[in-house]
Amino acid sequence: MSTIKEKFNQISPSEFFYRNRDLAGFSNPTRSLYTAVREFVENSLDACDQKGIFPDVHMSIKAVDPEKQDPKPYILTVKDNGPGIESKHVPLAFGTVLYGSKFGLKQARGMFGLGATMAILYGQITTNKPVYVKSSTDGKIQDEFELLLDIQKNKPVIIKHNTKEVTKRGLSVSICLEGDYSKAGSKIKDYVYETSLITPYATITFDDPKGEKFHYSKIVNEMPPAPTIIRPHAHGIDVETIRRMMVESQFEIPNIDDAMIEKVRKDLGLSIKNLSFTGIMDKAKKRWKTLSRPVRVVISLMSFLEMDFDKLNKIRIEDIDVPNKKLYYWDFGDSQSKSVDMDPENPYYKQLTGTVQGETLTTFLTKRFQRIGPSTAVKFAEFAGFKPEKRMGSMTNEELVKLSDSLQKFEDFLSPDPSCLAPLGEEPLEKGMKKFFKPDFCAVIQRPASAYSGFPFIVEMGIAYGGEIRPGGPHVYRYANRIPLLYDEGSDVVLKVVNDTDWTRYKVKGDPPFVIVSHICSTRIPYKTVGKENVADRQEIERELRLGLQFLSRKLAAYMSKRGQAEMAKKRANLYAKYLPLIAQFCTELSGKTKEPNYKKLLEEEIIVDDKQD
Amino acid sequence: MTTNKIKDRKKKALEKQQNIIDILKDHGAKIYDDLNNGQFPKFSIPSRSVSNIVYDKKLRQYILGNSAALRSSRNSSQLRSFTQLMWLAFFANRLTQEKKSSTLRDVYYSSQAFEIEFEDQSESDNIIVDLEAVLSKPREDFHIFPEERSSIFGDLNIEYTIPGYEGKKMNLSNHPDGYAIGPSLTTAELLDTSAEIVIAIEKGGLFTRFVEEQVDKKFKSIIINTGGQAPRSTRTLLKRLHDEMGLPVIVLTDGDVYGEHIAMVIKSGSANAAHLRELTVPDAKWVGVWATDIEKFKLPTIPMTESDIKRCYDLQSDPRYQEGIWKKELDVFLKIKRKAELEAFSKYGLTNITEKYLPQKLELAKSL
Repeated sequence: MSTIKEKFNQISPSEFFYRNRDLAGFSNPTRSLYTAVREFVENSLDACDQKGIFPDVHMSIKAVDPEKQDPKPYILTVKDNGPGIESKHVPLAFGTVLYGSKFGLKQARGMFGLGATMAILYGQITTNKPVYVKSSTDGKIQDEFELLLDIQKNKPVIIKHNTKEVTKRGLSVSICLEGDYSKAGSKIKDYVYETSLITPYATITFDDPKGEKFHYSKIVNEMPPAPTIIRPHAHGIDVETIRRMMVESQFEIPNIDDAMIEKVRKDLGLSIKNLSFTGIMDKAKKRWKTLSRPVRVVISLMSFLEMDFDKLNKIRIEDIDVPNKKLYYWDFGDSQSKSVDMDPENPYYKQLTGTVQGETLTTFLTKRFQRIGPSTAVKFAEFAGFKPEKRMGSMTNEELVKLSDSLQKFEDFLSPDPSCLAPLGEEPLEKGMKKFFKPDFCAVIQRPASAYSGFPFIVEMGIAYGGEIRPGGPHVYRYANRIPLLYDEGSDVVLKVVNDTDWTRYKVKGDPPFVIVSHICSTRIPYKTVGKENVADRQEIERELRLGLQFLSRKLAAYMSKRGQAEMAKKRANLYAKYLPLIAQFCTELSGKTKEPNYKKLLEEEIIVDDKQD
Repeated sequence: MTTNKIKDRKKKALEKQQNIIDILKDHGAKIYDDLNNGQFPKFSIPSRSVSNIVYDKKLRQYILGNSAALRSSRNSSQLRSFTQLMWLAFFANRLTQEKKSSTLRDVYYSSQAFEIEFEDQSESDNIIVDLEAVLSKPREDFHIFPEERSSIFGDLNIEYTIPGYEGKKMNLSNHPDGYAIGPSLTTAELLDTSAEIVIAIEKGGLFTRFVEEQVDKKFKSIIINTGGQAPRSTRTLLKRLHDEMGLPVIVLTDGDVYGEHIAMVIKSGSANAAHLRELTVPDAKWVGVWATDIEKFKLPTIPMTESDIKRCYDLQSDPRYQEGIWKKELDVFLKIKRKAELEAFSKYGLTNITEKYLPQKLELAKSL
């Protein structure tokens, strides 16, 4: 028998992503160039959105050596007018994987700001060139960095850093990476075009390597309201998340060191004065309401220990054993462990045990989750089989699993709060579509917020017909969180809903010039694949899409029948104008008359005549 | 024939023409007034749908029932066909006034001079039938004639009435290939004849044989080649020969179900022409080739096709095939499921048909 020596090495996040770059969309030069463009443009748009700045994003791709065959190195530069990044954060933000500001729960294009760092990493791997970052947060001073990533250590290496006076705020990132523009070009152009449709408040410019310029000016002058960060919804929770939330809800017993004692003295107004134990307690009682939690905990401990500050200085709290109502401490003077009993009748008992065991279940629910009130919390506790006053800290693993399951099953929670979402809004969407497609008819709808598995989402849809739209529709433009989804459309839920629609029912026939835009906003889009190009057919999302599309289709049908009627009336008017004179001419000769009959009255009248038989 | 009789006939012909012109003018005047009064003009067209075609036992032909369709210029989907019909009435009036003749195909092209569009000739043909129905007159009356394929031969004197030939006379036995039955012949005066019978024969080849064998002289007959199903001008002529000259008409066809029906159409018209009443010779007699002749004369035969058999079953439900030789022969055709052509007699010599078969049949016809 042989023994295999296994060696476990911890790898850094940078190294992990380096080894798994396929997952993040950097599998080949074509895909990588496209992904890098997306990551930087989306970061810029997100940054501007968050600060309520109308984005003005300028992107350029230049070949390092235009004569070379693809794939070859390109310089990708994305420049925005956003808030910039503070100088001290720049190296970490661009030189570390998993450093970002997007860990809250709200809608944003990217999730954690990972992609941009991946792009930098990819560029560095393929060309061994540093990333250039220029950032100005105040529009006066600009910090310019030249950075490399230390992959093993997941640390930035600053090659150069200097500052410069400027007049504009914003961020500019420039990387050199191996790409294939001849293959990725149409994809990137589509991406820029479709992004500007869903971001009508942004100006986007793209200079391509062949010297072509694509410029999309801002169409609307309102920014959609920025999303707010909110607490999670009960339906979207799992055991691990509960555990993390509990850490926040429990309080450590403060470390009673000199600084702490000093603080307590100060808060009690006893900085200079030395009072006896009872004196301190009296004082504390009077000032209780103004005291902070840690100070209260220290006072509570003192009440059981019956010690003044001097004595307190000579011990260290070891444990608070709630079930046995004992308080253990280490006495430095005697160098031994001691304990005192805790009297539950003591008014400070609750303060102490509460600190140790965390919040009650009901407090936990109402304080840590969105849209749960005290009465719902009590109802839920009953449903889940917990006492409402059960302390979170006293939950066993089994109980936590049970809690998590029940949270997902309980049906009386209000639906998730959509204020963390940032739909575009009906007006900007309609304006954008009208400007982009120049249609004869356009209708949009924003469905009310809904939720799947505790994640709120909103569906926005628009439909446009005629005008300058090319035939062969419906052409479907799919968006998720303001990102265009360009590929893998086959299995997408939006396509499914569109294809299920019998358009002839809505008077749309033949080869119609016809566009459908769908935008799904959510704190978490249920993508089917890591490629993030198609949305899974979650029943709730499918339902909203269906309702939205039905609403729009009915409007389209009304328009189509009006359009049809107008066409018919015109056709009919032409018919009468053509045939009545002929009839008049023939019957004049046939009846042997010389003057034609006056049929003009009929020409005026026929407009109101319908097709019914006499 | 006396001069008086001829004068009388001429007068009748003129009256007939004037009659058509009057009817057309009435329709024109009504439409003129409608337009002038701010009304949408309309035509009432007897319906030619199957449900409106009934067999009239008294007239011994199919006629149209009472239902009629209104074609109104008010209805935008009918406006086009209304105008087409209006144009055709106008055009028919010109033809009749100017005594010019035209064909179905002619009409189709003539329309284009007046910004009247017909998709194809079948559309214009339909409008012509519509006008026939509106006027209850065959199109020949308003000078639209079919393409000619039938001909006539025999001792018959006629006098043309068409412009340029008025008063010109002709004997129809002067040319051995026979005379095409066209507008000039159909409208000609029938003056006199020595013939005692009219023999209508289905096929051109046999027609030539009959002329060669001088069937006209031997049997004192006028020979007419119907060229298959008799065109309406031919049926009109047959009717006139019967009605005006008092000649009996016999019909000789192939020995199959289609032949039998050719004879029937001469006798009592077709469902297609149920809107017209002057195209039938109710006393015409079908003398052969019968199904029973096939056996009797031991004629070489060919088997019936599927469609032949289907046609037999169709005709079995026709009221005219419910009795007499019509029913009897049809049943025999269905039984033997074989057919024989007129040429089959050639097996026994080229003159067998005129020397043996025809005399027998002529004799038989007297008793039919």
